[in-house]
Amino acid sequence: MARLYHTPKEVAEILGISDDAVLDLVNRGDLPGLRISPRITRIPIVAFDRWREGYRPKRRRVVVRPARRELEPGEGEALPSPAALSSR
Amino acid sequence: MTTATTDGLITYYADLLERLDRFAAMVLPPNDGDEAELARASDGSLLLDLEARLPVGRHSADVELDLFERWAPAARDTFERSEYRFELRHRGLDYRRAYHRHDVDHFVRAFDVATHEHCETPIGIAACGHYAGAPVANAIEAFDSLYDLWLTGAPPECGSLRCLG
Repeated sequence: MARLYHTPKEVAEILGISDDAVLDLVNRGDLPGLRISPRITRIPIVAFDRWREGYRPKRRRVVVRPARRELEPGEGEALPSPAALSSR
Repeated sequence: MTTATTDGLITYYADLLERLDRFAAMVLPPNDGDEAELARASDGSLLLDLEARLPVGRHSADVELDLFERWAPAARDTFERSEYRFELRHRGLDYRRAYHRHDVDHFVRAFDVATHEHCETPIGIAACGHYAGAPVANAIEAFDSLYDLWLTGAPPECGSLRCLG
């Protein structure tokens, strides 16, 4: 299976900047990257490619709404239909 | 983060969604549009319930990510995280990895822990029902951990975990 991430050194070579500059971009939250440890950072290729194309995440609006469903029947079970309940 | 106000949870959820988007995770309906929702349960709890696929791309259907948290009311406009379920199922590599906190009283009585983990390779075959695991601070930390596991391109080493029973 092909590797799914770049190292900072690989990204530095692609972008023509220093390793430290890559880590700065990751630390600032600009470039998508995971700091696994102080010595290991992984930059997902799929996210990096989108970033290079200029993609930036949008901020979604979050709203609070009543839960649509709270009761989940298990496998092989079923809830009675509203019609069946109202006819009782 | 284990306690938060409604506004704090809204900001936290927006941060989480932005991170998923930044890392090319595809959020599934109903939270895939410009608006996402925190559900208010009948007991007043707020539920963060998110499904996603990793990553956007050819094999995205193979990798399922579920992030769920229940925030129970603790005081006026203050919520306490009472439950979580963070899961990654990689259909292509046939493994499941999960971090759970639920039924705390039961797990404390049975194993003296509030949180546990699951690790299955292949999916559905568990050498151990519940593994020991440190509490996960928040959904963003869970996402990073599960995403990093996906990034490695290999199934987890379940044998290295401590089995609770």
